[in-house]
Amino acid sequence: MGKVTGFLEIQREQPTRRKSDERIRDWFEIYEPFPEEKQREQSARCMDCGVPFCHTGCPVNNLIPDWNDLAYTGRWEAAIRRLHATNNFPEFTGRICPAPCEAACVLGINQPAVSIKLIERSIVERAWDEGFIQPEPPVQATGKKVAVVGSGPAGLAAAQQLRRAGHTVTVYEKADRIGGLLRYGIPNFKLEKHVVDRRINQMRAEGVKFETNAHVGVNIPVDQLTDQYDAILLAGGAEHPRDLKIPGRELKGIHFAMEFLPQQNRRNEGETVPESLAILATGKRVLIIGGGDTGADCLGTSHRQGAKIVHQWEIMPKPPEQRASSTPWPLWPLQLRTESSHEEGGIRDWSINSIRFTGDADGNVTQVHAVRVGPPPKFEPVTGSEFTTDVDLVLLAMGFLGPVKNGMIDQLGLALDPRGNVHCDTSYMTSKEGIFAAGDMRRGQSLVVWAISEGRKAAAAIDNYLAAKTESLRQVHRIHA
Amino acid sequence: MGTDVPLACLSDRPQPLFNYFKQLFAQVTNPPIDPIREELVMSLISYIGTERNILDEAPENCHTLKLPHPILTNRDLEKLRRVSSGDLLATTLQALFRAEDGEDGLRHSLEDLSDRASHAVNSGYTLLILSDRGVDATHAPIPSLLAMAAVHNRLVREKTRTQVALIIESGEPREVMHFALLIGYGASAINPYLAIETIHDLKHRGLLPADVTAEKAEYNFIKAINKGLLKTFSKMGISTLQSYRGAQVFEAVGLNKSLVDAYFSGTASRIEGVGLGVLAREAQMKHAYAFQPLTDSETELVVGGHYQYREGGEYHLINPLTISKVQHAVRTNNPATFQEYTDLIDGQNRNLCTLRGLLKLKYDEQPIPLEEVEEAKEIVKRFTTGAMSFGSISKEAHETLAIAMNRIGGMSNTGEGGEDEERFKRDANGDLRRSAVKQVASGRFGVTTNYLVNADELQIKMAQGAKPGEGGQLPGHKVDEVIAKVRHSIPGVGLISPPPHHDIYSIEDLAQLIYDLKNVNPQARIAVKLVSEVGVGTVAAGVAKAHADVVLISGDSGGTGASPLSSIKHAGLPWELGLAETQQVLLLNDLRSRIKVQTDGKLQTGRDVVIAALLGAEEYGFATMPLISMGCIMMRKCHLNTCAVGIATQDPVLRARFQGQPEHVVNFFFFIAEQMRQHMAKLGFRTVDEMVGRVDKIDAAIAHAHWKAKGIDLESILYAPTLPSRVARRCVQAQDHGLAAALDHALIAKAEPTLDHHTPVTGAFNIRNVHRTVGAMLGGEIARRYGSAGLPDGSLHFRFTGSAGQSFGAFVPSGVTLELEGDTNDYLGKGLSGGRVIAYPPKTSSFLPEESILVGNVVLYGATSGEVFLNGIAGERFAVRNSGATAVVEGVGDHGCEYMTNGLVVVLGATGRNFAAGMSGGIAYVYDDAGDFPTRRCNKASVDLEPLVISEDIEKVRGLLERHRDLTGSPRAAWILEHWADAQPKFIKVFPHEYKRVLGVARPSEVAKRAEAPANSSPRVAAAEVQHG
Repeated sequence: MGKVTGFLEIQREQPTRRKSDERIRDWFEIYEPFPEEKQREQSARCMDCGVPFCHTGCPVNNLIPDWNDLAYTGRWEAAIRRLHATNNFPEFTGRICPAPCEAACVLGINQPAVSIKLIERSIVERAWDEGFIQPEPPVQATGKKVAVVGSGPAGLAAAQQLRRAGHTVTVYEKADRIGGLLRYGIPNFKLEKHVVDRRINQMRAEGVKFETNAHVGVNIPVDQLTDQYDAILLAGGAEHPRDLKIPGRELKGIHFAMEFLPQQNRRNEGETVPESLAILATGKRVLIIGGGDTGADCLGTSHRQGAKIVHQWEIMPKPPEQRASSTPWPLWPLQLRTESSHEEGGIRDWSINSIRFTGDADGNVTQVHAVRVGPPPKFEPVTGSEFTTDVDLVLLAMGFLGPVKNGMIDQLGLALDPRGNVHCDTSYMTSKEGIFAAGDMRRGQSLVVWAISEGRKAAAAIDNYLAAKTESLRQVHRIHA
Repeated sequence: MGTDVPLACLSDRPQPLFNYFKQLFAQVTNPPIDPIREELVMSLISYIGTERNILDEAPENCHTLKLPHPILTNRDLEKLRRVSSGDLLATTLQALFRAEDGEDGLRHSLEDLSDRASHAVNSGYTLLILSDRGVDATHAPIPSLLAMAAVHNRLVREKTRTQVALIIESGEPREVMHFALLIGYGASAINPYLAIETIHDLKHRGLLPADVTAEKAEYNFIKAINKGLLKTFSKMGISTLQSYRGAQVFEAVGLNKSLVDAYFSGTASRIEGVGLGVLAREAQMKHAYAFQPLTDSETELVVGGHYQYREGGEYHLINPLTISKVQHAVRTNNPATFQEYTDLIDGQNRNLCTLRGLLKLKYDEQPIPLEEVEEAKEIVKRFTTGAMSFGSISKEAHETLAIAMNRIGGMSNTGEGGEDEERFKRDANGDLRRSAVKQVASGRFGVTTNYLVNADELQIKMAQGAKPGEGGQLPGHKVDEVIAKVRHSIPGVGLISPPPHHDIYSIEDLAQLIYDLKNVNPQARIAVKLVSEVGVGTVAAGVAKAHADVVLISGDSGGTGASPLSSIKHAGLPWELGLAETQQVLLLNDLRSRIKVQTDGKLQTGRDVVIAALLGAEEYGFATMPLISMGCIMMRKCHLNTCAVGIATQDPVLRARFQGQPEHVVNFFFFIAEQMRQHMAKLGFRTVDEMVGRVDKIDAAIAHAHWKAKGIDLESILYAPTLPSRVARRCVQAQDHGLAAALDHALIAKAEPTLDHHTPVTGAFNIRNVHRTVGAMLGGEIARRYGSAGLPDGSLHFRFTGSAGQSFGAFVPSGVTLELEGDTNDYLGKGLSGGRVIAYPPKTSSFLPEESILVGNVVLYGATSGEVFLNGIAGERFAVRNSGATAVVEGVGDHGCEYMTNGLVVVLGATGRNFAAGMSGGIAYVYDDAGDFPTRRCNKASVDLEPLVISEDIEKVRGLLERHRDLTGSPRAAWILEHWADAQPKFIKVFPHEYKRVLGVARPSEVAKRAEAPANSSPRVAAAEVQHG
C-alpha cells in the first residue's frame, strides 16, 4: 500500500540523468543512482487501489501494489519474490519499458503517476546486489525436451519457465551472442550488456542450454528439431523491416536501423567492424526516418558517434503535449514523448513524407526531398511545402512488418495470420502440432514486456500440452503464466 | 461499494463451504442490538458439556465447562483434549477423507465420522473434538462445517445430541463469518490452529511490530473474532452466544435440497444448487494445489483477488475494463462504447456471477417498432440514486447527483446526513440541488421538520444493503464544519448511527413512524427500505399494511464500501430473490396494488433493469454506477477520507480534484433507458407499466455445462400465482393513511390567524390515546410557510387534557407550545424542531409526580432543538439521539441520553442503567440522591463525571429548575431550589470526552499528565496544578 496519505504528502520523483554533454561521450547507462530513502518515499505514494488499473495495464500483470508496499516497508527479499512471480526480467523492463502501468495508474488521473518503473528497477537491482537472486534449478526432471528458437526476451522467458518446471531446454540463437534485441539492437546506454549476461548466467546455472551461431532453417535443419524435441517454441522476432521504396533508395548511405544499431553494440563489446561494412554517423548529417523508439535509439547512437547534425522525421502529426482526448485514462496515451536521446540533441519534425533521395556521382546519398503532409489516413501532401535537406546518412526506423518468412517458417509450412505473423490458436500452438510461437513472431512488433508475457504464457501452454500427453506428468504442477 | 464477485455457487474457483451461506438479520420483526454501546446485554460466555434435564435441579447439572468465549488457543485445546475429570471426558475424531475417492470418499468418511461420534457418545465421552489435523498427500480435510453438521445431525437423530459438546479443531476458520457459522450450526468451541500458527509465524519472521509479542498478537486476533461474533449476533437481535449456538441463523444460496436436508436441515435454500459432489471436487482442487511439487520460484500463493481486484483472481463485475468503458461512454456520450460496457456485464457466459446472468429473456418472434415504445425521457423518471449521505461523500459529488436526477425527473437521496437548507431553492443557473428523497435513518441526523417538508419522498431505512442489521459510524475526522451543521452536530465529533431505529421495534412501531412522517408532509410518499433475505416478502406485506407508499428491496451487492468486510461479503441476499418473493407475497395477499415496489443492488445495464421490472419492480435504484460515472474508480478507501477523485472524502484538497458533471450521470441514465427500450421492443412491451411483474417473459436457462450452476433451479423466482384479473401486478391506487381523523386538523383550524397573520392564539382540547402524532401536521404546515425559523416564541399555546397517544409533540417547530395535563404513550417530542412540550399529571391526582411514570419510552428521539418539561418519570432511552433539545425530567429508565450529540438534559431523580452510552456531545446533569450513579448506572466509556461547581453551569441548572417549577408546578423542583445548598453537591455533570475536546476543555487525565511532566518544577506547584484540575 505504501502510506495511506503518501500520495498527498510526497511528490513524484525520478532519478536524475547525467548531463547530456557528458553522457554522450560514453555508452554507459544515463541515470544517476537513486538513494534508498527516496525509493521508499516513491513507493509510499501508491494508494493500494481496490481496483489496481496499473496491474491490469501491465502486460505481465505485475503485482504492483503488493511490491510497492514491500518496497516501502523495506522488505526487499519479499519484494523480489513478488516481482519475479510475474516478471522473469525486471531489470530489463525496469530500464526500457515505456511503462503502460504508469499510464494506467489511478493517481495519474489527476496527479503525476506513481513511479512504478523506478520501484521495479530498485527492487531488482537491490536483489542482485544483496544476492537474493540465485539460480533456481528444477527439483525434478520431467524427461521432456523443448527447443526454443530465438533468445530474445520471449524465448528467454519461456526457456526459464520451462526449465524450472523440469523440462530439458535448449535455446537456439542465430547470432553469436545471446539476447536477441536485448543484445543487438537496444543501445548500451539504455541497457548495458552485463545486465543481460548476469541473467543469462543465472539461466545457465539453472540448466538451460544455449546454442549460438545456430540459425534454424539455415545451418540447422528444421527436422533436427522436430526429430529430437517433444515441443518447439518459435520466438524469432519480427525482423522484417518496413522499407521506403522511393526513388534513390538504392543509393549508398541509406540503411535500416537494424543494420546500424547492432554494429555499435558489437563495438561496445570490443569487436571491430570492418570499414567496408561500417555504418557510422561520425561527422555526418544524419536523417532518421521514423519517430518511434528505434528512431530515438538511432538518435542517441548518432550523437555518441559524433554526428554533425541529426534530424528525426515522422509522417504522423505531432502528438499533443498532454494526453490526447482520443486516448483517455487508463489507455496508453497519444502524447508527445521526449526521450533521453531527444534531450541530447537532434531536430525532430512531424507530418513529413520523404519523396526521393538524390546522390552524388559516386552513388552516395546527398539530399532527401520531402513534403509536408496532412493527417492520416490520407497524408495529403500540402501543396507548395516541398523542401530539401542535405544528408550523408539515412536511417530507416519505420517499424517492422512481421517475422522473416523464407526460412524456418516456410520450411515448417506454418500458417500465417492476415497480418503476416505466425498464426496460433489460443494455446500458442501453430498450425503444426507441437510447434508453438510467441513474442513478436506471433504478435507483430511490440514491447519487451509483451515478449516476456508471451514467453511465460507460451511456456504454460507447452507445459500443459506435454502433461496432457504424458500420464506421469499430470500430477506435476502447472506453470503459472 | 458492496460485493461484486460471483456467488459461491457460480464461481469457478473452489470456495470454502462457508461462502455458500449468508447471515440473516433482524428487519422490522425485532430490533438489532448495538453490541458496542450496549455491551452490558451481550455475552460470549457458555457452559459446555452434557446438558441435563433443566427441570431436574441436581448438582450434576452444573458439571459443565465454563468458557468465557468460544475460541480456543492451541494450548487450551491440548488441555481440553487431555481432560478426564468427572463428567468431562474428551476424545478426538479425525475428519479427513481420501482425496482421490471424490464424492464417494467424502460421503463414506462423513458416515464413518458420524459412526465414530455415535460410538464415542455411547462410550461416555462428553466432549467430542472434530479435527482435521493430519492432512497429507492422500487425505484431504472434510470441510469443518460439513463435519460439524453431519455429526450434529446424526446425534440429533439418535437423540443423544445434548449429551455431548462438539468442538472444532480446524485449519479452515479465519474470518468472523466462519466462526459464526460453526457456532450457528452447533459448535461449542473452535480452535483455529492454522490462523494461530500463522500469527506465530508472522512474529517469527519479524513482520509484527516489536512491541507486539506472539501471545499479544494471538490475544488480539481472538479479541477481534469475539467482537466480530458479537456484531454478528447483534444483527439478529440476539445478545448471547448461548442463544446463537445451534440457532442456524443463516440462509444458504446454491446448496441443493438433498444436501441441506441431510446436513443443514431447517436452513432455507431457495434455488437448489450444488451437492456433495461439488463440495468434494472443491476440496480435491484445493488439496491438489496444496500438494503439487514446487519449484523454489513458485512459492507465492495464488493472488486470490477476492477483496482487491487481481488478474487471474476472482472475477469482479466492476473491473478496470468495465469502469473505464462506462466512464468513456458517459463522458463522450457514446452509445456504442456504452454497449461495449454492457456487453461485458451481460455476457456472463464465461464468468457466471449473478442469478440474473442465468436468466434469459423470451423475445417475441416479431419485435414491435422501437418508435412505439415509451420514450426514454419518461422511463428515466423511474430511476433513483441510492442513499449515500453527504458526509460519506463530498458536497460536490452529492450535489452533482441531485442536480442530475432533478434534471431528468428522477430522484436523488439525501442519505442519512441531513441536507443544507440552501439547497432547497433553485440556483441562479436553474440547477436544483434539493434531494427529492429524504432519508430517515436510525441516527435521525438533521431530520428536522423543515427537512421533512422539503421532500417528495421520505424513506425510512430499516436496513442497508452492505451491512444489514448494523448501524454505522462517520469518524470524527470526516465531520467538518459543514457536515456538522447539516447534521446538527459538532465538528470533530464522531457520529454513530445505532443499528435499530429506537422507535421501531415491531411492525406496529413502523406503522407509527409512517404515520408520523405522513402527518408532517402529507404530500410526500413514505417509503421503507428493506434488504433482501428469506422472509422479506412477509415483512413487505407488513410494510404495505402499515400504509407505506413505497417499499424498496435492496440487494446485497450494493451498499457502501466503508462497511465491515464480513458484512459486505456475507450478509444480505441478491435482489432477484427478495424482489421475487416480495412480488409473490404481495400479490397473494392482494396488497400489490396499493404500494410501489422499488429495487436496487448493482443494477448496471438495461437488461438488469428489464429483469427487475419483469420480476415486479416499477422503480429502480442505482448507486455504484452513477458514482463511477462521476469518476469513482473503486479504490475502496472510502473509510480513510483519502478518495483520490474527490468523491468519498471531505478533504478540501481532494474535493478540488472532483471531475464529475451532472451530464455524465444524465448520460448514464439515458443510455440505460434506451437499452431498456430495445429489450422492450423485442419483448413486445410499449410501456414499462405493462412489463411489471410479467415473469412469463423470463426463461430460467440453466448453464448445464457449468459444474456448479447446473444444479441451480430458478423456477421459484418465476412463480406467478394464478389470480383474478382485478388483482393488479403493480401499484394502481394510493394508500389511505387515515389522516382524516387526525386531531391536528382542529389545531390547524384554530391556528389560522397565527399562520396567516402571526396573531398569537391559544386553545384547549381533550385528548385520548387514539390521537397520535399530535402537533406534527401543524408543525409541517408551519415549516412549509416559515422554514426552519418557525414562528416567534409564544405564537401558539395549546392545552390538552387526557391521555395522549404515541408521538405527542412530534416534529413541533419553534413558536408552538403544547401543554398536557395527563400522561402520554411513547415517542413524546420525537424529532422536536424548536417547539416546547410541557407535561404534568392531573392536578387532582394524589400520587407523587417524582415517583410516577408520566411518559413512555424513547422521548425526544432525534430532537434537534426545543424544550421539554416533564413533571414525572420517563421510560427507557430518554433523549436517545438528542441533537440539541433541552429537557428536564424527574427520573428515567435504562439507556438515558444514548448517542446524544448535543443539547441539555436535567434528570431530577434516579436513572436506569447504561446512562450516556455512546454519548458524544451535549451535557446532562443528574441529581444523584442515592449516590450510586457513577458506579452502577452510568456507562462511563465516553463521558467524564464532574461535580456541579462552575458558576455558569449552576446558573443554567437553576434557571431550568425555576422554569420547570413554574411551567409544571413540580414539587420536586421547588424542593431542590429551596434546599439548594444541600442539593447542589448531589448533582453530577455528565460531560462527554469528545465534546470536551471540541470545546477545548482539558480532561483530568491530561491535567495529571501535565502535572507529572515538568521535571524541574517544584512538587508544590505540581500539586497546585492538579488541584485546580
